[in-house]
Amino acid sequence: MSKKVAIIASNGGLFDAYKVFNIATAAAATDQEVAIFFTFEGLNLIHKEANKQLPMPEGKEHFAEGFAKANVPAIPEMVAMAGELGVKMIGCQMTMDVMGLEKEVFVDGIEVGGAVTFLEFANDADVTLTF
Amino acid sequence: METLKTDFVLDAKGLACPMPIVKTKKAMNDLEAGQVVEVQATDKGSKADIKAWAESTGHQYLGTIEEGEVLKHYLRKSSNDEAKTETKHPVVATNEELEKKLQGNESIVVLDVREEAEYAFNHIPNAICIPLGQLEDRFTELDQEAEIFVVCRTGSRSDFAAQKLAQNGFKKVTNVIPGMSGWTGSTTTINN
Repeated sequence: MSKKVAIIASNGGLFDAYKVFNIATAAAATDQEVAIFFTFEGLNLIHKEANKQLPMPEGKEHFAEGFAKANVPAIPEMVAMAGELGVKMIGCQMTMDVMGLEKEVFVDGIEVGGAVTFLEFANDADVTLTF
Repeated sequence: METLKTDFVLDAKGLACPMPIVKTKKAMNDLEAGQVVEVQATDKGSKADIKAWAESTGHQYLGTIEEGEVLKHYLRKSSNDEAKTETKHPVVATNEELEKKLQGNESIVVLDVREEAEYAFNHIPNAICIPLGQLEDRFTELDQEAEIFVVCRTGSRSDFAAQKLAQNGFKKVTNVIPGMSGWTGSTTTINN
């Protein structure tokens, strides 16, 4: 049985996005089963438009250059890669209702579910992370 | 710098973590069991990452050669048939028996039938390197009368090699079990 990694993404900044997707893709590439539950601002990370221009933390804008220099892929690319590697991405239904968002505004291939959908996966996860 | 023969070279230069791992994973999917890949990366963290990745996924990490900025990692795709312990060549020796013979300076030939990259990072001093896949084309490099001890990693490939040698007129062939995976004697490596 492969190991399971359960991730909660609840913040919507650029740094948050890299933390989530770097760990998720690395785990998936290491033959681990990965699910990410996107909730509240975390939904920005899989929003088709918003995830192209996620904000840097205030005062850290100068890191943009570093990202370019280190040849770090853009977030939409990271999302696509995660999808290709079989990472399960779950959008939080409750947050979507509150924010008035439909499934169509999010990247293809995501699932929509509630807290229990994620908990069922995380129940026997070997690693659980919150970002 | 010497280049090692591999089945595939993956260029992951200039890519940041976790891309070298993601690319390695994808490349590995397309390889056959037992094949060797060279992963070229400039991400300094890749040395620890590739090693840890191999340990988690069950592939074999052979070693890394540093060439200036570039790290060349060598990996061998895991193969299930090596888990078997049953061997067919009747004449076998343990690692310890071989080590004793080497220490006693007996005139024997150690034939290492692992892939070139496996041999490069860790082999018995003076062992001859002929990968199993090339053995039949290279019989002439060996003396049929010599006392030949065949080694690989686990004793499986060397078993095949020992059988082939015996079928082709080699008279004194011994398969060493388990081989390099349990070898505690002296070794030579490319990374000195």
